[in-house]
Amino acid sequence: MIVDGFFIAGVIVCLASAVICFGAAVIRQPPNDITILSVAAVELFLLVYGVAAIIRQAGGEAIAGEAWEFWGYLLTALCIPVAGFWWAILERSRWSNLVLGAVGITVFVMLFRMEQIWDRVPL
Amino acid sequence: MTDNSPDNSAAVSRHRNSGPGRLLIAVYGVFALAATARAAFQIGTKFGEAPLAYLLTALAAVVYVLATVALAMPGKRWYWISVGAVGLELVGVLTVGLFSLLDPEAFPSDTVWSLFGRGYGFVPLVLPILGLWWLFLNRPGTPTVQTTERISPAA
Repeated sequence: MIVDGFFIAGVIVCLASAVICFGAAVIRQPPNDITILSVAAVELFLLVYGVAAIIRQAGGEAIAGEAWEFWGYLLTALCIPVAGFWWAILERSRWSNLVLGAVGITVFVMLFRMEQIWDRVPL
Repeated sequence: MTDNSPDNSAAVSRHRNSGPGRLLIAVYGVFALAATARAAFQIGTKFGEAPLAYLLTALAAVVYVLATVALAMPGKRWYWISVGAVGLELVGVLTVGLFSLLDPEAFPSDTVWSLFGRGYGFVPLVLPILGLWWLFLNRPGTPTVQTTERISPAA
C-alpha cells in the first residue's frame, strides 16, 4: 500500500499541534498564540486536504471505499478544531491547552480512518 | 489579553465544568460524536446484521451525549444526572466488555464497549472511572469552594 502524502502531512501537523499544546499544559501555560495557531494549522490542513480531495476526485481518482463516509468524516473533522478552540478560550487555564491538544489527537484518528476509506484498507 | 498570571484562573472557584473538568467534557464530547456517528452508520446501513450490537452502540451514544451535557451544566440536578449517565456508562462498558469476552458469538459486530473499549484504546473504560472520581471531588455541598479562593494554593 502506498501511503498517501496528504495523510503523512496531516499526521505531522496533528501530532505537532498535540505535542505543542500538551507541552504548554505541562509548563502551566494558558492557551496562547502558539497553541492556538497550531490548532489553526490543523484546520488549515483539513481545508487544503478537502479542496485537494475534490480536485483529485474530479480528476478521476476514485475513493476505494464509500465516498459519503469519507466526506462525512472530513466535514465532521472540520468542526473539531473550531469546537475545541471555542471550548478552550472560554476558560484560560492550562487545562484548556489539553483540550486544544485533544483536537490534534482526534483529527489524527479521523485522518487515519479517512485514509483507510480512501485506499479501502480492511479494518 | 496579556494575562501573565496563569495560576489566577486556577484559583477561581472550582466547578465541575472548570479546570480538568473541561478536558473531561471535551473527551466526552468526542465520544458522544463518535458513538452517535457510528450508531447512525450501523443502524442506517446494516441494522439486520447485528441488531443487538447496533442498539448497544445507540445506547452508548445516548449515554455519552447525556453525560457531556450534564457535566457541562451547572446545578445540583445536572450533577446527579451526570452521576447517573457516567455510572450507566461504567456499568455498560463492564457488562458489554465482559459478555463480549465470554460469549463472542453474541456480539458478532463491535460496539464502542466491546472488549472494554479496546477498539478505542480502552478510553471508554477509563473515562467513566475518571468521571466518577471527578464528580466525587466536586460533589455538591463541599465547602472547599469558598476556602480555596481565600488561600488560593498553587495548583
